[in-house]
Amino acid sequence: MRWKLVGFIVGVLVICIGFGMLIPVCFSLYYHDNSIEALIESMLVSVLLGILMMLFGKAQWSGPSMSHREGMAATTLGWVAAAVFGGLPFYLSGVLTTPEDCIFEAISGFTTTGASVIRDVEVVPKGILFWRSLTHWFGGMGIIVLGLAILPFLGVGGMQLYKAEVPGPTPDKLKPRIKDTAMILWKVYVLFTVVEVILLMLGGMDLFDSLCHTFGTMATGGFSTKNASIAYYNSVYIDFIITLFMILGGINFALHFQLFRGNPRAMWEDGEWRFFVLIVLAATGAIAWSEYGHKYASVGDSFRYASFQVASIITTTGYATADFELWTAAAQCILLLCMLIGGCVGSTGGSVKCMRIMVLLKHSYGELIRLIHPRAVTRVRIGPQAIPIEVLGGIWGFFILYLTLMTISVLLVASTRVDLVTALTSVMACIGNVGPGLGSVGPVDNYAHMTPFSKWILSLDMLLGRLEIYTVLVLFVPRFYRK
Amino acid sequence: MKVIIVGGGEVGFYFAEWLASERKEVIVIDKSEQALRRIMEHLDVQTLLGSGSNPRILEEAGIREADIILAVTDSDEVNLVACFFANMLSPDVHKVALIRNDDYGAYRDRMSEKMVDISLVINPEAEVVNSIRRIMSAPDVEQIHDFVEGRIKMVGKRLPAESPLSGIRLTELPGIVKRQRLIIAAIVREDRLIIPKGRDFLQAGDFVYFVCQRDDLGRTLGFFGSESNAVRKLMIVGGGKIGRRLALELDRMKGFQVKLIEMDPDRCQRLAAELRRSIVLQGFATDQAFMEQENMGSMDLVAAVTWDEEMNILSCLLAKRLGARKTVARVNKFAYIPLVHAIGVDHIVSPRRCAIDSIMPALRRGKVINTFFIKGKEAEVLEAVALEQSSIVGTPLRDIKFPKEALVLCLARGDEVLIPGGGTVIQPQDRVIILSTRGNIARVEQSLMGKRRML
Repeated sequence: MRWKLVGFIVGVLVICIGFGMLIPVCFSLYYHDNSIEALIESMLVSVLLGILMMLFGKAQWSGPSMSHREGMAATTLGWVAAAVFGGLPFYLSGVLTTPEDCIFEAISGFTTTGASVIRDVEVVPKGILFWRSLTHWFGGMGIIVLGLAILPFLGVGGMQLYKAEVPGPTPDKLKPRIKDTAMILWKVYVLFTVVEVILLMLGGMDLFDSLCHTFGTMATGGFSTKNASIAYYNSVYIDFIITLFMILGGINFALHFQLFRGNPRAMWEDGEWRFFVLIVLAATGAIAWSEYGHKYASVGDSFRYASFQVASIITTTGYATADFELWTAAAQCILLLCMLIGGCVGSTGGSVKCMRIMVLLKHSYGELIRLIHPRAVTRVRIGPQAIPIEVLGGIWGFFILYLTLMTISVLLVASTRVDLVTALTSVMACIGNVGPGLGSVGPVDNYAHMTPFSKWILSLDMLLGRLEIYTVLVLFVPRFYRK
Repeated sequence: MKVIIVGGGEVGFYFAEWLASERKEVIVIDKSEQALRRIMEHLDVQTLLGSGSNPRILEEAGIREADIILAVTDSDEVNLVACFFANMLSPDVHKVALIRNDDYGAYRDRMSEKMVDISLVINPEAEVVNSIRRIMSAPDVEQIHDFVEGRIKMVGKRLPAESPLSGIRLTELPGIVKRQRLIIAAIVREDRLIIPKGRDFLQAGDFVYFVCQRDDLGRTLGFFGSESNAVRKLMIVGGGKIGRRLALELDRMKGFQVKLIEMDPDRCQRLAAELRRSIVLQGFATDQAFMEQENMGSMDLVAAVTWDEEMNILSCLLAKRLGARKTVARVNKFAYIPLVHAIGVDHIVSPRRCAIDSIMPALRRGKVINTFFIKGKEAEVLEAVALEQSSIVGTPLRDIKFPKEALVLCLARGDEVLIPGGGTVIQPQDRVIILSTRGNIARVEQSLMGKRRML
């Protein structure tokens, strides 16, 4: 482990975050709000400390390229540093007053969760609001690189297959080719962002709002500039555009790239994509059926709200056009299931992810076959490819760890005397990077009322969920530090 | 007529024997003294010790005076190089190279362009798989062969006593089979080959060879007292090249239940990754408890296609004992073939046999594309493309001077299948299927050939 090298990388990241604050400064100037000082101070602190970290690590930069251990350490520490420095503007502007609130809000942004502790976002200075949404967008970019550079080493699924489709990293070291791939995927990401901003502006949003909501959509984050989230606009057009782009954000970006290269068959033939689309359609249909005649009088309305909410929850975005706390228990259960499933591998969506759910289901079915034919050799296949045995083990391990950490967190949050639904869904929403849950953290509520202890737990859950658990947990294994 | 055969293995031996029996001058080149000794002991041919890919050896064998060189060693490379040098030393000689590797198939056209005048007979595992597929289409039939891309089937089948056909005259046949078009080509009765005429009888116990269209096969077999229940449940023993290919082909089609038995765990993993619907089982197909558990006895067909022919035979015997309907074993050594039939294995596939079948047309004069032997080599059925200059084209059949014991069984013109009568006129590009006894083959070829000079 070369800690100095890790320090260097984190330093570069912190400097980037610092310069990123220049964009909200522009909006702050334009709207003449009182957040400009806080933003500039945060920027200076970030850039200066970042430079210090870089200088500290410079000696080792010229050495051999990064090992995957160092990559994992840099990723986790990078996200933590992003949360700390990204939280500064909230603190310095006085929008949030306690450290845990600032960290919670920033980590929720960078992990593209979208859970908020701000009670009334409409009074927050525009510059700070813009920064809050921008953290989503940066987080989304980070996830794309994460998927390419770190996750393949963990062997927890999906990315190995994805590697075969786009020129990816060689298994041992982080190679410059990752940069090429990341650039391609970033271009897709930026292109979608631009298109969505234009489409939202055509729907009547101003530039500021459409940018903020686009960041929240493409990164599958969920921060809004309105207390009522997307419901504020009450426009079928805006609902439709955001539903569409949430779904796009929840699909493997490599498939989008293939689509642009004139290869739409790649998408159609992708097993995970089909599974994802199938679940979205099935869940939408089921909820619409359940809510028709209950909450909504017309078929059109039930489908409009059901499709938006299913897309929002399964892609782990967390926008709301309806208060689904008023829906039937069946509809809420379906949403909770969607929360657990999540988006596709290689997307900005979080949670367990469709690929893993598919693999686990298929593997379990294979075990059933083996009861009938004890000598049968079965392999789990996704599309044309068979999943290697080691990856299968990794995926089971991931799933069990995911459930274990979820259970422990629910226990800890429940110990702060909130009700069971709140405890369960707040943890599910945070570890799955969704945002809103049910109970007192529902779509029209926020996390401000939680105790500081819960906020720390939930912040950690967001980080664990976003970095696919192993990346963070491996730092707690003593062997990791041995030479 | 002088023929050089490179390679004295089973395939080389077969051709040497056959060509020698047609009184051709044959020289066999092989690197193994033992193989040559076996040939010299049994056949009236010359032998030469050495490598067929060596130009000096080829010259020594008299490549300049030879009419044909047939490269049939087990090595594709040796076969290619032998033909390459033969081409260099004596461009006029007719060269045939046997290629076993499937991968060459994709390059066949480009290779033919570069290596002018070398006939490449590419005979991959696909041929063996095709013959298993043929068996699957009619598992109760003893012999079956495809003509005209499978549109016409030649079937050899024993006539049971309860069949409505037994005891009738051939002239009565159309009255019984009605609209089904069925042509009786040959009958083997008490080990005697009969090319039947209208006044001949069909008797119970006859081994009857007939030709019919693919779509009529099921109903036609009904007249032979056999239900055409095609294979649905199949067990493949051995996941090697043949087994894998067969399983993959069936995997893509609906309606088959396939179990594939393979003993190597790693190979099982690879196969399981490739196959969607078929079940891959790891173990030995000679393990009775395992096979009972997997219901080997309820299979329609058990195809044992491992490398190990003894294992294949044993697996088939176990399958028969457990009650499987039909079995097919892959057997390499020709010497085993009569034995295997005797102990109750229903069908045999042999990669070498398939290689011989695919080389045979390349040796025939005229544009022969397919041949099938009846009763050893006593009679032969040829499928040929009628050439413009050939003497059978353009005149009504009754006026063609054709040997007495040879007959045109059927014609395929475009999508149509015709049963020729005396007035039928063969047109160029027709596919003609002709039956001939061995003695008349040369004259049949003569009439097919036109001006092309070959064998």
